[in-house]
Amino acid sequence: MYEGLSSPNIHTPKSLSEYASITLHYPTSSLWAGGTFIMSRPNSYPSRMMNAEIIYLGDIEEFHRFQRNDRFAEFGSMVTLDGILSTGKTVLPRVLIDNIQTIGSRLITRRATIGGTICTKNFTTSFPGTLLVLDATAEVKFIKKKRLHSRWMQITRLLDKNGRIQLPSQGVISRVRIAFSEKNCQYFREIGSFMLDPENSVSAAFTATLDQDILINPKIAFTYPLHGVCYSRDIDSIFSSLRFPLNDDEIYTLESMIFTFIESSFQNISPLQRTRTSGIVHQIVDNLNEMTLTAPVEEASGYAR
Amino acid sequence: MKIDCTIDGKTLTLSLNSDKPLSLILRENMGDDCHVNHCNGSMCGLCTVLLDGKAVLSCMVPAFEIRGKTVTTFDSFRRTKNMKDIEKAYESVGRYPCTECYASRSLIFESLIDEGITDPETILKELSIVRCPCMDPEDEVQIVLKGIEIRRKRNVRRS
Repeated sequence: MYEGLSSPNIHTPKSLSEYASITLHYPTSSLWAGGTFIMSRPNSYPSRMMNAEIIYLGDIEEFHRFQRNDRFAEFGSMVTLDGILSTGKTVLPRVLIDNIQTIGSRLITRRATIGGTICTKNFTTSFPGTLLVLDATAEVKFIKKKRLHSRWMQITRLLDKNGRIQLPSQGVISRVRIAFSEKNCQYFREIGSFMLDPENSVSAAFTATLDQDILINPKIAFTYPLHGVCYSRDIDSIFSSLRFPLNDDEIYTLESMIFTFIESSFQNISPLQRTRTSGIVHQIVDNLNEMTLTAPVEEASGYAR
Repeated sequence: MKIDCTIDGKTLTLSLNSDKPLSLILRENMGDDCHVNHCNGSMCGLCTVLLDGKAVLSCMVPAFEIRGKTVTTFDSFRRTKNMKDIEKAYESVGRYPCTECYASRSLIFESLIDEGITDPETILKELSIVRCPCMDPEDEVQIVLKGIEIRRKRNVRRS
């Protein structure tokens, strides 16, 4: 049935130096983390397009490490999403926990890795957008002049102008650092399934500190699976210029400004994605309105003074 | 690529393409012994098998990852005492999965009972992969809790 197919060679480096030497020998090899993206593609097997060399990262011990202090948690890129939940459920930002819980069954989150979810070309999860609003940083290892170098980069700097992750050539993410957020507004919503219905699904991650009626340091990122992550400081500054609660006209103006930006980045989002994005914006604003209106009396009187 | 693994209690050395999904290996290389759905990665949940005792989607597991591991399909699992515990749990709750998802649900129940998970949210999340609507979420939680209880009693009796 599969005549003419050659079996890919699997390399299983045990350390980073071994990984570097394999990458130097086979510069066009494919990296294999959890395999949830590769195996869920309809043409994953039998595939004549498949690269003949695969580097399986699961045996590199450094990629499985997890450490935390009082400011941040640091995960190796091969830590699974389920592993993140079980190790840091009480300390990690709410928006991240909500994101992992919406991804799906533990049968998937036990295999999907944090590094893999960031590096896949088509977004099978909304994880990069959430890491972006949390100001997460990633350690990128790359080969330059036949030597392995590493550099810590913010997730925002890994995005290209189309909202896709762009790593240096022969680069791999080895660690991801997530700061513990003390922001009191954290919101995550995913509508539709990124894995099963990528044409119509959308997600948004939002974090900010609501102080009386204004937002301090708001960050919002929309993720469209087939397009990329839509993030801009312009949208963030629109949010920080608002005074809550907003009325219907103000919500409509905010929504149209957000859509102007989204459509300038991604021309062909589907009508359903547009409707869903609008719904998410309304929900975020409704939450913020509710939080402002139900703030404790002391805070309200403090504001009046 | 030669892969040594144990499938349904048989220690085998298989000559396979290294990226062949486990679901296809079970269908094509194991002859008529294994009946596992191959959904080509669409995550239907019906291709569930136990890999070293934990439920996995066999369409997501490439051949090179089963090297040295133990794969248990429902065909061999249904003859074990652990399956009898699950059948007793079905009986006491009074609900059974339909024939289509019976195998996959039972294997996921086994994985949950083996881990001793009692949190309803975690149970429902794990079972959400099976999209067949034949069972109520409440019944699923009850079956897992009952299964854990039955398994504990059996282990106490044995010791």
